[in-house]
Amino acid sequence: MSDSQTVSVTINGHVYTADCDPRLTLADFIRHKCGLTGTHLGCEHGVCGACTIMVDGRTARACLMLAVQVDGSTITTVEGLASGNELNPLQEAFWDNHGLQCGFCTSGMLMCATELLEENPDPSAEEVREGISGNLCRCTGYDSIVKSVLAAAEKMRS
Amino acid sequence: MTVIGERIPRSDGQSKVSGEAIYGVDYAEPGMIWGALLRSPVSSGRITRLDTTAAMAMPGVHAVLTAADAPDAYAGWVLRDQRLFAVDRVHFEGQPIAAVAADTLAQARAAAAAIDLEIEPLPAVVDLDHALSPDAPLVHPDWESFVPTAGPDFPRGGNLAAESISDPPGVDEAFARAHRVISDEFVAQRQYQAYIEPKSAVGIFRDGRYTIHTAHQFPYNVRDRVSQFLNVRPSAVRVVGHTIGGGFGAKLDASLEPYAALLSRAVRGLAVKLVNTRTEDLITCPSREGAITRLRSAVDAEGNIIARELEVIADNGAYSGEMPWLASIALHCARGVYRAGPTRVVARLVYTNTTPTGAFRGVNGTYLYHAVERHMDHIAAELGVDRLEYRLRHLFTDGEELLNGQVLDDAGILRQGFEAIEAAAPWAELQAEKRPYRGIGIGAAWWLTNPSAGTAVVKMHEDGTVAVVTAATDNGSGAVSMGVTQVVAERLGIPPADVHIALPDTDVAGFDGGSQGSRTTRIVGKASQIAADEVVEKLKNVAAGLLEAAAEDLEVAEGTVRVKGVPGKSMTLAEVAVTAMNTVGPIQGTGSFVTPFPDFNPGCATGLMLPSFPTPTYHVHLAEVEVDPVTGNVRVLRYLVAQEVGRVISPDGTYGQVMGAVTQGIGYALHESLRIGEDGRYRERTLESYRLPLAGDVPRVEFFPLEHPDPDGPFGAKGVGEGPVLLPAAVIANAVSDAIGKPFNQIPITPEEVLAAIQS
Ligand code: FES
Ligand code: FES
Repeated sequence: MSDSQTVSVTINGHVYTADCDPRLTLADFIRHKCGLTGTHLGCEHGVCGACTIMVDGRTARACLMLAVQVDGSTITTVEGLASGNELNPLQEAFWDNHGLQCGFCTSGMLMCATELLEENPDPSAEEVREGISGNLCRCTGYDSIVKSVLAAAEKMRS
Repeated sequence: MTVIGERIPRSDGQSKVSGEAIYGVDYAEPGMIWGALLRSPVSSGRITRLDTTAAMAMPGVHAVLTAADAPDAYAGWVLRDQRLFAVDRVHFEGQPIAAVAADTLAQARAAAAAIDLEIEPLPAVVDLDHALSPDAPLVHPDWESFVPTAGPDFPRGGNLAAESISDPPGVDEAFARAHRVISDEFVAQRQYQAYIEPKSAVGIFRDGRYTIHTAHQFPYNVRDRVSQFLNVRPSAVRVVGHTIGGGFGAKLDASLEPYAALLSRAVRGLAVKLVNTRTEDLITCPSREGAITRLRSAVDAEGNIIARELEVIADNGAYSGEMPWLASIALHCARGVYRAGPTRVVARLVYTNTTPTGAFRGVNGTYLYHAVERHMDHIAAELGVDRLEYRLRHLFTDGEELLNGQVLDDAGILRQGFEAIEAAAPWAELQAEKRPYRGIGIGAAWWLTNPSAGTAVVKMHEDGTVAVVTAATDNGSGAVSMGVTQVVAERLGIPPADVHIALPDTDVAGFDGGSQGSRTTRIVGKASQIAADEVVEKLKNVAAGLLEAAAEDLEVAEGTVRVKGVPGKSMTLAEVAVTAMNTVGPIQGTGSFVTPFPDFNPGCATGLMLPSFPTPTYHVHLAEVEVDPVTGNVRVLRYLVAQEVGRVISPDGTYGQVMGAVTQGIGYALHESLRIGEDGRYRERTLESYRLPLAGDVPRVEFFPLEHPDPDGPFGAKGVGEGPVLLPAAVIANAVSDAIGKPFNQIPITPEEVLAAIQS
């Protein structure tokens, strides 16, 4: 067993400090050490995108990173999107436009779309499709997700 | 104000977009420890050494269990052919051999890996045709000792896991006088359900009973399977459901649950959680079965099909699960939706040394319709008749009598489906506009709505809202979070937000047939409607005295009980509910519902375990594709669906099912490769190599709902969710064949195959 290391990160504005095995993935750190289960694991292999989070303002796949790599970083997970109980426009739009069914991909989709709209506040439907094409959804067939992102973009621009 | 057919926010939406929803894989108990399974690395072999001593001595390990620690019991949905752990022989790669419980998941996995296991490999039965040949080794030499779970035994023997044969008179005579005979063979690969949430389970042994927490489509089936494996009566098992991250049929039978239960017992009641890795999940999932379908049609000089033969050999894998029931579906799909004279149908399900197959949305239908609709194109081409024209000429009409004697009173809806497609995409225009490497495919189907029983309790709270207690589950479709919610809200005249539907718990809610076969909105909706009607009657009776009116002059609407036609004479539901506490006691209602099987002729076939299709729906699909001659990739440019739905309860839910199912069908047709090697092991083992459709792979489906309300359904609803997956493989294969001018009779259609066809 390797020696444990102390990791301290700011997640959704709170500082979490925990001792962890150097091989602990960031996803497991977030889910098990911090109790934030909104970040989902679909493949633990970097393929599905369900575990997408923001690390220092950029999307990252939490299953592909180690907790020790993010010591001192600032992280946003799906739980950090709403202000208190108020959903943000993207979350609202996913709910309003049936952008989810089982919802297991939704956290990752929301994080991916957050970055997409930061970079391009007025995307075309094709650009949204392209932008979410690294995230798997088995339920919806994607169309309602594209619609949700476009609706959120419109709301955020106005 | 009605909420039927209106868009409503799904009741689980807030928790799903905020990350608050607790999925099965998130569920935890105080003091919980972790489990892991040692699975067979080979598909066929004899266990020559199994020593757990070293594993037991690993850090954090509480228990290591093998067959020696499990009850000597056989379990199975239809046939009791499976044991909890391999005993002596292993029959498929991934089969559990031992289970470990340890403080952490990493420790449990490390200990499982440290179990000393030696297996002497034996020849694996993999090829479907060969499995039935006399020289094939038997997957289960002891097959005769297996007992059906319920009812009499069914036709089976050796590697034949089930068989259904229909041999009506006149088939051979018609072939003898045929003007021509057209034959085809079709091969379909397996398809992995690939829900994004891997399977998991938490087991707790307490007070002499087992409690299981799992995200499951059919909690009562888990209860039954755990009780069989652990050799206890069903009521000794309680199953509590959690939010499901997709299932599509793969979460209808037990998987990790009995192991979690047994491990908890071994560690004196500590909660034990098991979670599949994605590779474990993929290699052990009851995927859609691979199949070989052979079709022969006898055609007369006028182009009528005067007789047909259909033979299908489907891969059962190493254990039967639900599969024997489904073998008779071949009889119901053998003619598709076109008249074809007397038809001989031989459906065989065969044991192989591969992962047991199971239900995937549109069970059996996807490859059967692929075969039938490809065959229709072939026949039309041989006759030199336009494919659409040929279909319309032979299409079922109202009153069509099927091979099993079932009569389809409303099959004329099929023509309306073709008309809806024609209006949006006129066939002649599509043909005229055709460019090189573009193709069009069309096809049609009929399907059932699963009839299994369901029940619900609707109870009125003193604040005028209601709770619905049911063991139904929302697999994500919205059938509970919108459909059933809307039915209850409508009946009680309250906003959908005032209807709360509990997650399933088999200790609390009555039997439910599970989230399968498009049944939930219809069956559970109907049961809830009946329960709500009882609540309405009770509300009126309580309010009658207070409003000084006869109960029959009252109505329940807009959150009140009021005297019909007398404005102002009303009470809120909350007032009535509170009053009831002092007069008749709390108000609640109960409803149960099951759809009877339509009449059929029991003598029409042997092995007819699913005898007829209740609550039929009708489906017409059209696809336009473009083939890239350089890469061999196929792009679906346009996809149209016309579908009978009874009545749209939830437009978002309905369209979501259509769009999602068609996408799975496109994946089945083009992307999803789940190959089995000669060693019986899957070649694809991760979501990287098992390629699911991505956002850029699918067009927006153009959808035309056909509404012929079913008098027995809640507000007319019929099943929706399964039908749209039946035809994408059929119409895409027809479209690709049209684009290239060569037949594509295998699923999936790979770029390599496309390039080979272009170059040949
Ligand atoms: S779980 Fe990280 S990409 Fe799938
Ligand atoms: S909503 Fe189920 S995976 Fe996307």
